[in-house]
Amino acid sequence: MIYDYIIIGAGLGGLSAGLNLVINKKKVLILEKNSLPGGLFSTFKKGRFEFDTSGYDIYNYGNLEHVGELQKLLNKYEIDIDTKVIPFNSRIKELSTKKEFELKGEFEDLILELGDSYPGVIEKLKELVKISKEIHEGVEKLLIDEIPGEEEYTNFYKYLDKNALDVLKEMKIPKEVINKLSIWWLDIGSPLNKLSFIDFMDFLEKLIFKKDVVLCNKNLDFIMKLVNKYQALGGKIYYNSEVINIINEDIKIVETKDGLQYKGKYIICDLAKRYVFKDLIKDEYKDVNKLENARTIGANGVVIYLGLNKSYEELGLNNYKYYQFVTLDSGTNIKYMNNLNHNTWIGYVPNVVNENASPKNTTILVLKQIYFDDVFKNQQAQDYETIRNDIADNLISQFEEAFMVDIKEYIEEISIATPFTIERITNSVNGSMYGYMKKGYDNSIHRIISYDDEEIAGISFVGASSLLGSGVDNTIYSGYSVTNRLLKEKE
Amino acid sequence: MTKIDNLKKERKDIAKTYSGKKIKDTYIDGVIKNFQDIQYVKIKDIIEETNDTKSFILVPDEDKGTRELASFRAGQYISLKMFIDGDYTTRAYSLSSAPNKINKGYRITIKRVPNGLVSNIMLDDMKIGDGLTISRPMGDFGYNKVRDEKNVIGIAGGSGITPFISLAYEVDAGLDDCNLTVFYSVKTEDDIIFKKEIEYFNKHCKKVKFVMTLTREEKPGYLKGHINKDMIEPYIKEFNTVLMCGPKALYKTMNEILGEFNIPRKCVHYENFMVDFLPIEEKTYELKVILKNDFKICECKSNETLLVAMEKAGIKAPSLCRVGICGYCRSVILDGKIKMIGGNMEKALAQNDYIHPCITYPESDVVLRLDI
Repeated sequence: MIYDYIIIGAGLGGLSAGLNLVINKKKVLILEKNSLPGGLFSTFKKGRFEFDTSGYDIYNYGNLEHVGELQKLLNKYEIDIDTKVIPFNSRIKELSTKKEFELKGEFEDLILELGDSYPGVIEKLKELVKISKEIHEGVEKLLIDEIPGEEEYTNFYKYLDKNALDVLKEMKIPKEVINKLSIWWLDIGSPLNKLSFIDFMDFLEKLIFKKDVVLCNKNLDFIMKLVNKYQALGGKIYYNSEVINIINEDIKIVETKDGLQYKGKYIICDLAKRYVFKDLIKDEYKDVNKLENARTIGANGVVIYLGLNKSYEELGLNNYKYYQFVTLDSGTNIKYMNNLNHNTWIGYVPNVVNENASPKNTTILVLKQIYFDDVFKNQQAQDYETIRNDIADNLISQFEEAFMVDIKEYIEEISIATPFTIERITNSVNGSMYGYMKKGYDNSIHRIISYDDEEIAGISFVGASSLLGSGVDNTIYSGYSVTNRLLKEKE
Repeated sequence: MTKIDNLKKERKDIAKTYSGKKIKDTYIDGVIKNFQDIQYVKIKDIIEETNDTKSFILVPDEDKGTRELASFRAGQYISLKMFIDGDYTTRAYSLSSAPNKINKGYRITIKRVPNGLVSNIMLDDMKIGDGLTISRPMGDFGYNKVRDEKNVIGIAGGSGITPFISLAYEVDAGLDDCNLTVFYSVKTEDDIIFKKEIEYFNKHCKKVKFVMTLTREEKPGYLKGHINKDMIEPYIKEFNTVLMCGPKALYKTMNEILGEFNIPRKCVHYENFMVDFLPIEEKTYELKVILKNDFKICECKSNETLLVAMEKAGIKAPSLCRVGICGYCRSVILDGKIKMIGGNMEKALAQNDYIHPCITYPESDVVLRLDI
């Protein structure tokens, strides 16, 4: 049996690729290392709590009125999920100034509020919103392999090689306003002085026009829907199938740890290119190696999942998202994020948006600390368990202090994921939660325009480490976009 | 050249300046590579604890590629993988050694189970130097300094004492800042495992105390009868964490007692290590297992789990905890009626016909999908 496509990894990217291919009547096999699909986007149960591992903010989905790309795509796949729109509901603390503020409501509210404090800013932000629309359309065109017209897309070309911070400064937007617009940099994983203006505008466009949502049910429910649809259309998926070797010949041979072999005409990896060429393909590809050695792996981190035995109202956790930064200036803040116990983190309280997130009178709190370095490097392996608990303890204390709440005495369940946990489960290089870091010449825009040049015959990449980066919308869309190109090529 | 071409060239030019040799591992990649799900060990020592219980000291089997043992938290278990007459099976045993002295090896303690498949072989046939295959340490049971209170009450029934010895070492070494009182219930004095170590802790470690009670005899130095409210009361403080390891019957009586002390649910944690189930009548059904490239048909009895039925038929079904918690054996039921006893299954999986074969009994012929 020779499959048309063998997909390695049943993460969101791999499942989306598989679905698009079986919809187009291809013979597809997905090989997944774990006993469950989902990869980094999963759910685990502990006591009476079910914790979603990630996906607390799903961008580019929208609602009935503002239909995002993700929603359009899922409609195409005939996948029906229940979602809830999240209005801005964040509390942000800047440690260096001890200032605290809330972001609530819609983007328009934010613009009006900023306009009140900084005269003349409203017009500039409106201009920015207009540019974001044009840039988003330009990126969309590139994704379907069309070149945006130079006359029609003047702004797209004007800003093509600029980083986000430089352009915002050039537009004379006050520093304080830039800082408020940049709090999402932690969601993207790159500070504004590294992020391309194109990537930033593409993100802003989603944020403003395609409301972000949360799932009403757990991540695994969504994953099961994708798998069921894929199987119903004839797709095959094997679990407990860790790929350990790829022989890249005309007909590709994929070997799994259990000694089985599969043959396919084409391979799609829901894995980092770096991992595949480092650990799975024995042949040497000098150009790939050069590029991979040049790129920066995205940040890793520690995620603490807490099941608390009181309602969020009783605990006083009334915001969906909590951020603490040392400074809102992202380029400066990132420099503080290179040691085990630093002061920048995000907290999520899913119950605030979704009352079914955990049983009645309980709350889930997820705290995430992100590292832009190999911070575990100087630690001893035998201290690992102690370090893990110390990080959790420190992070919870910081959260309690920053937002004047009591958490520790209400902890019923605790689970701590470290970069080691993440790499062991997903093979994500260095336990990265963002794929590669978007910086300099390696933002999405660069990956998209160089896609054809960098293609290795017969092997493609989807997921967080591919074209668009991390995030539910990006990974699902990468699976769709890459397979569409392949289907077109074959015609 | 267009602006897009310029941008492409810039990326190419930067890449050119880097080495085309091997892609380097990052720090975490390097650690993960040494980190195996399976560990090969040798029996370094066998200690006769009581007339039906032996402890085994396990050290790395370097000839087979295990250079050092994986670290563990007090309360965790390893799963022993055994081939017996061509059949494959696993058993989970809590570690009772000191987590901070991993260089001295793991210690597991095995009590003879009448007609038990693994325990009898381990107790009668195994000798020093023999090799074994085990999993890495697993499980969530134990003290967690972030979650738990400083006053810790341990409740141990029979061989449920093992994780508490490990915890006592951890507290003794100052790794856990808590006061630990363990109530240890056995039938007679002769059934006490780790007697010397317990005496050591009681004498030398201020933060650890073992209180022993005998249920079937009366002897000086021991309490008499099952663990009850009066025994525990003097040790209850304003805030407590209770850790329990033993038979289900013990948990049931203890929960009633703990209710009287108003100890909230969040402060009580159990190690599950037994599945009790007896069907009304014994029947034999057919079990069809769909594997990746093959299928197998075997018989399964109403009084044994689907996992045991598969193991008896020589199918290498994955398993670790064998009590429906770890999720390692998860598979999909395609047809048939089954009864799953307890377990910890995510709602979305339950709705999609996932089961834990380790705690599932057949009530008709069954078709199971198992990706091995």
